[in-house]
Amino acid sequence: MPEPIENAPPATETPAAGQQTPASEDLRFATQTPGQPFEVAVLALQNLTIFPETVVPLGIGRPRSLAAVEAALATPEKLLSCITVRPDRSDDTDAGSKDLYEVGTLVMIKRMERVAEGMRIIAQGTERIRVVEWKQEDPHMRAVVEILPEPRTVDAEQVEATKRNLQQMIQDALALLPNVPPEVRIAVLGSVDAVRLSYFLGSILNLGVEEEQRMLEANTADELVSLAHANLARELEIMQLRSKIASEAQTEMDKAQRDYVLRQQMRAIQKELGEDETGEAAETELLRERLEKAELPDEVRAEADRELKRLQRLPPAAPDYHVIRTYLEFILELPWLKSSESKLDLAEARRILDEDHYGLEDVKERILEFLAVIKLRPDTKSPILLFVGPPGVGKTSLGRSIARALGRQFERMSLGGVRDEAELRGHRRTYIGAMPGRIIQSIRRAGVNNPVLMLDEIDKLGNDYRGDPAAALLEILDPQQNNTFRDHYLDLPFDLSKIFFIATANQLGPIPPPLRDRMETIRLAGYSDREKLEIARRYLAPRQTTENGLNNAQLKITDDAIETIASLYTREAGVRQLERTIGSVARKVALKIAQAQAETVTVTGNDLRDYLGPPRFYPEQARKELPAGVATGMAWTEMGGEVLFIEATLLPGGRGLTITGQLGEVMQESARAAQSYLWSHAAEFGIDSSIFKDFGVHLHVPAGAIPKDGPSAGVTITSALASLYTGRRVRPDTAMTGEITLSGLVFPIGGVKEKVLAAHRAGIRRIILPSRNEADVEDIPEDVRHELQLIFVSGIAEVLDAALEVLVANPPPIMADAARGGRNPEPEPLTVKG
Amino acid sequence: MRNTDREFSLIRTDRRVVPSGRLWNPAADVYRVADGWVVKVDLAGVCSDELEIELHDSFLSIRGCRKDTHYREGFVYHQMEITYSRFEKSIQFPDRIEGASIRQDYRDGFLIINLRSEQG
Repeated sequence: MPEPIENAPPATETPAAGQQTPASEDLRFATQTPGQPFEVAVLALQNLTIFPETVVPLGIGRPRSLAAVEAALATPEKLLSCITVRPDRSDDTDAGSKDLYEVGTLVMIKRMERVAEGMRIIAQGTERIRVVEWKQEDPHMRAVVEILPEPRTVDAEQVEATKRNLQQMIQDALALLPNVPPEVRIAVLGSVDAVRLSYFLGSILNLGVEEEQRMLEANTADELVSLAHANLARELEIMQLRSKIASEAQTEMDKAQRDYVLRQQMRAIQKELGEDETGEAAETELLRERLEKAELPDEVRAEADRELKRLQRLPPAAPDYHVIRTYLEFILELPWLKSSESKLDLAEARRILDEDHYGLEDVKERILEFLAVIKLRPDTKSPILLFVGPPGVGKTSLGRSIARALGRQFERMSLGGVRDEAELRGHRRTYIGAMPGRIIQSIRRAGVNNPVLMLDEIDKLGNDYRGDPAAALLEILDPQQNNTFRDHYLDLPFDLSKIFFIATANQLGPIPPPLRDRMETIRLAGYSDREKLEIARRYLAPRQTTENGLNNAQLKITDDAIETIASLYTREAGVRQLERTIGSVARKVALKIAQAQAETVTVTGNDLRDYLGPPRFYPEQARKELPAGVATGMAWTEMGGEVLFIEATLLPGGRGLTITGQLGEVMQESARAAQSYLWSHAAEFGIDSSIFKDFGVHLHVPAGAIPKDGPSAGVTITSALASLYTGRRVRPDTAMTGEITLSGLVFPIGGVKEKVLAAHRAGIRRIILPSRNEADVEDIPEDVRHELQLIFVSGIAEVLDAALEVLVANPPPIMADAARGGRNPEPEPLTVKG
Repeated sequence: MRNTDREFSLIRTDRRVVPSGRLWNPAADVYRVADGWVVKVDLAGVCSDELEIELHDSFLSIRGCRKDTHYREGFVYHQMEITYSRFEKSIQFPDRIEGASIRQDYRDGFLIINLRSEQG
């Protein structure tokens, strides 16, 4: 730094001047005498004007400025000229004399301290100066300057008026500036001198160098005050506008701030709950890693990546965040490409099926056929099997056995009561609480993409305005389409074609034909008493024994007891009730043993009354004697088969045909057809045709509370009516079934096995069947068939020949239902199938 | 140094500029004594030759200029906190002061001015 040493202090003659001027007026304004030029160091001011009678802190950093201050400090009076750089030249890094205005302010340096950047000084403006002559540029500028007189007042009143106005405006301005230091406030309001006030305003208002310079150069108080007034008025307006904007912005801010505070609080709460952002970030990171590792098809990976990107952009508080996260997790859990090794050994499969199920020979045979095809052509589309049969015959457990035989996962889903298509196919993700459909959920549970998937109770699907789930099943069960099954939730194709679908139903009827068409139907009829005995001996009794805490030595149930339970305590085609009843016997025995009343118990048929009370069912036994007008028929129900009686009686003086017993349309029509046939062939059968005119007929089918329908009772109704009209009784050991036509033909019916088994159970030994049902006899277990006399007929004449006794002299009155015992009090749906 | 800091920061908090008088106004105490007044002015370092004291009616004016007389060639200022300036101190008394003799004196850096009645 250049060392500025200036001797010859310029103001030596000042005291003399002071002495010369006796009035205080002079000295008040003069550090130097006006009009007497002297030489002084000059400091260039960038973007700043210093007015007289103001104190300004200045930072000094440029070499020339530092040199100027050093030079001023080297004088006894520490005086310095400060001149502003013209605004159009202010870019210069170190302004020279040509860049400065000519008028500036003489300042006295009150304080100085050195700082890292150079110096800081506090300068007090004293009076205005004008440059008379430039003396030096470097190391600092020097000039000969003259003191300018204080602006003089021309029109005192005008100045005073403007000053008062100024003060009023300052009051207004201060109201808008809450942060003005009190000393400034006092100084401004207390200022009585118009010139001082104007100079101060000039220095505190942000006017720009040009305007400030104009004020500094003003030579009259009038001009100075009016400039100050104009500038303050403009500033005030801007300030008011600014404050208005600011207050509007404040309202905005308040809302933003409130949101911010709430968000901070939420973050704090999340942190407390262990859900803070770092946790969330780690979570998305974890998801990303899992996605990278997961085996996914390309299309799925692309979608998952897209969703993951969305997730990373979302704050955890966003409602979509969890939706996307759940979705991604679900994608990760689905076995897109994971399948279980299919091992298929037919001999082993046979062994497993035999081990799990007794009987059902034909069913097992058909299952094995399908498995054989799969073994020969592994890429073949798996067949879709439909097991139809009464409850408790083992449909579900057959499915389980198939899965075991194939070595695949088994998953079961019940379709009973499903009435919304969305339950199968899921909801679109846009819905709140959307979930994938049951199919996809079952696959996720299975963990592999080729499980054995059992669709239970497919005949109990609902169907209403919300959609038809059966229609969704059409796609799911179509091997041509289901390799790109799209669940609404996933919205990605999933290959269902590797799944081995098995459906179960109690009835075929309610299943829509297109759906039935996609499946291979396998019927499971009920079990015969002998089969039930075997099943009970092999599976049910041992299972119930152990389940009730007993061992084989402690409880023995004789065959006789099992048969009695099956016939007198249960009534079903399957074995569920049988098992339950054996279970209750086992519990009673367990109680005895636990109370140490016995060590081992053998239950025989005779003991059952003690364990189970009186028999709950008397099977519809063949009546020992049938009065004329009563015939034994057979019905198919969901529970298997049943024997039913059709009773007809003559109503003297009555008319037409009265039909009771909850008969459906079809059955009523077949009753009318039977009567018409007999009427038209009256002579043939030796019936007096006047009987049709003179007597009405009442036809009743017990039990009256159970609805019955179907054409298969046609043959039985005809026999009953023929018996009534001819007086020849129907043979009580004979049961019959078959649809009739008006021309006297007998048509085939369904459910032969169940019906025959029921009749056999009831003690019937002669059965009349339509000849076209002869093939169905194959289904009837050998042992049962041997005990039966089956008569195949193709016309009504043959039926009557076989059914009616040869002659009865006096037809006894229709007897009350003497031979029948109590029925199951629970009304069961009984549908007679044709 | 601390003082300086405080002054700088105080000024800089808001407007950087504060108004001031044009001249330095040194502090003064005024004592009333039995036969007149004693005025003590905090005015060290001022040579009495450069001091102008004037009594006019009830006003006492003290004017002058404090200059830095210690500065020598080769000195470099490191810090400056003392004000060197022209000054003017004007003191008004309750009454017109007439016939008083003015005596000035420096004691311990204070300028002492005695205004005593000549009759007293």
